[in-house]
Amino acid sequence: MRALAFLAAALLAAATPSWAPAWAGDATRGAALAEARNCGACHGANGISPVPLMPSLAGQQAEFLLVQLIMFREGLRPVPAMVEPARGLTDAEIEDLAAFYAALPSGPAATDPRNEALATRGAELSAARNCGTCHRPDYSGQAQVPRINHQREDFLVHTLAEYRDNLRVGMDTQMNGVMHGLTNADIRAIAHYLAHR
Amino acid sequence: MNPHIVPALASAALLLAPGLALAQAAPPPAWAQGRSPEMANSTLAPHAGRLTVTPPDQLPTAQLRVPEGFQVELWAHGLPGARVMVRGPNGTVFVGTRGIGRVYAVREEGNERRVSTFMQGLQQPSGLAIRDGALYISAINRMLRVDNVEQNLSNPQPVDLTSAFNLPEAPHHGWTHIAFGPDGRLYVPRGVPCNICDTDGERYALIASFNPDGTDRRIEARGVRNSVGFDFHPRTGQLWFSNHGRDWAGNDNPSDTLHVNLRRGEHHGFPWCASGWQDPAVSGRLCSEFPPPALILGPHVAPIGTHFYTGTAFPERYRNALFIANRGSWNRERLAGYEVVVVREEEGGRLVQEPFLTGFRDDANQRFLGRPAGVLTMPDGSMLVSDEQNGAIFRISYRR
Ligand code: HEC
Ligand code: HEC
Repeated sequence: MRALAFLAAALLAAATPSWAPAWAGDATRGAALAEARNCGACHGANGISPVPLMPSLAGQQAEFLLVQLIMFREGLRPVPAMVEPARGLTDAEIEDLAAFYAALPSGPAATDPRNEALATRGAELSAARNCGTCHRPDYSGQAQVPRINHQREDFLVHTLAEYRDNLRVGMDTQMNGVMHGLTNADIRAIAHYLAHR
Repeated sequence: MNPHIVPALASAALLLAPGLALAQAAPPPAWAQGRSPEMANSTLAPHAGRLTVTPPDQLPTAQLRVPEGFQVELWAHGLPGARVMVRGPNGTVFVGTRGIGRVYAVREEGNERRVSTFMQGLQQPSGLAIRDGALYISAINRMLRVDNVEQNLSNPQPVDLTSAFNLPEAPHHGWTHIAFGPDGRLYVPRGVPCNICDTDGERYALIASFNPDGTDRRIEARGVRNSVGFDFHPRTGQLWFSNHGRDWAGNDNPSDTLHVNLRRGEHHGFPWCASGWQDPAVSGRLCSEFPPPALILGPHVAPIGTHFYTGTAFPERYRNALFIANRGSWNRERLAGYEVVVVREEEGGRLVQEPFLTGFRDDANQRFLGRPAGVLTMPDGSMLVSDEQNGAIFRISYRR
């Protein structure tokens, strides 16, 4: 346990951003709100999604969760299923939800068989496009840059294609530039690689 | 050289450049193309913007510094993402944003200054311009006009000019600053959809101007990687614009720059040359073929608001001087920018820059306390500066 705490502290120190917002999120209040709004029905009781195309939220970067929930609330990330869950959330409630999901342990890597050829191709593409720079070399993310390991493969495929096709535009446009010119086969390879590590 | 033949030459040169021919087979990510070995193992990433309200007691107001005789105070807060500012004829200050998709209105009501969300749900509405009582709003790919805007603050009915302007659709670098020129035309830049790449020079890497209804497009400046701030010289009417150099080429190269567009259609060097630095990622043309920038601003400082001070309340040396809000670096190991500088003309026409509003950058701890973005002269001669990170607006005035 102590070793784990130490590791967490070391990771935090490594990822300290040059901007440290006064973080007000409360995970306990966030848990109650997630329960009341039934977030688990789609994202899994522990934030690990059992549902096709539904992203896992457990262990996700708090800053990323905050940004995405604000974008849902403001109608800037148009996902019909998220309209009701995000309706009328205050900034403080969003900070609580973000604190709750960020504190849950992220899920395991995918358990279905790993296709070596596909994973190798995905690893090459990820290296060529430096995904591990912004998302960090272990793909655990930093601040508003999300964790992209321990995520459902089908969701990764879906959302990467949306960035490429300009259907999803983030808080900035970095991911649209990153995905420019990739084929569906490339995207499947990257998603398979990320989900299986 | 005839500017109209530049694009043809450009694409020919790019086809011959081996690096870029490769890049077409498997294009590297927009921002990482041409990364220097120095930055190969970097985990630098863009800083997270803040989309929630920063309470006034967490604002860096007390840390801000201005030259002797000036004072700085908090003017408005609670506007997450506050960026560009324009003022309507009846005194409403409109404030554009990027990530949070809102345009705010700030009004004086009696003794109170009130902030309201005027429009929302727009994709990065970072460009605002006022003309004949109408507010023009540019968001990614879109152009809207709200007529009689100050009479319709609670129920704006925008006219959609998007198809008339026909702006390129790629979102990257597709947020724009816009402004009316002294010629009555609307100036709309369009950055490149990548970090460094082969682009269609008729659509990207340029500043264009239009009739206010979106007709009669004209290319005013070419070879401009990404300008998100410009203004017109109060005496000469010339277009002065700032420009962002590319990322991943090192901590100190290239620099961001200030340019004066001396001729319509003038080519300023992208992708070959930036701040007098020959980009090793692209061959074909030389820096000596392009006019040098008017001023080197510094590496990665990220100039946004680029604004001539047109008031008379500041001392003589600041009148008609250019104020530039440097939002600050992310693609650099040590922080640079995070301040407002003033660019003045010395005797003989030489341009010099000096810090004007500082205190956002904490060098000792390599942290920043805010990110200045927009600059506006007020009718009383004071100056507003927006802080995008904190969603606040500061007012700078001079005490006689
Ligand atoms: C009816 C199903 C449903 C419910 C209930 C629901 N969500 Fe979602 N959520 C989705 C879908 C679908 C997506 C996005 C998938 C996509 O982009 O394709 C999503 C995306 C998200 C994301 C972005 C995750 C990412 O990795 O991009 C967050 C954060 C989120 N939801 C939080 C919540 C919270 C908090 C609640 C409860 C307040 C909630 N959701 C309730 C369906 C749901
Ligand atoms: C310049 C920094 C940067 C690089 C490089 C980068 N990303 Fe991202 N990525 C981001 C940011 C920032 C976001 C959040 C954007 C948003 O708000 O939608 C993001 C979001 C994502 C998401 C959405 C995750 C979710 O849960 O919604 C995926 C998947 C992703 N990136 C994968 C990749 C892959 C794969 C690569 C390499 C091919 C890559 N990224 C390279 C910055 C980067």
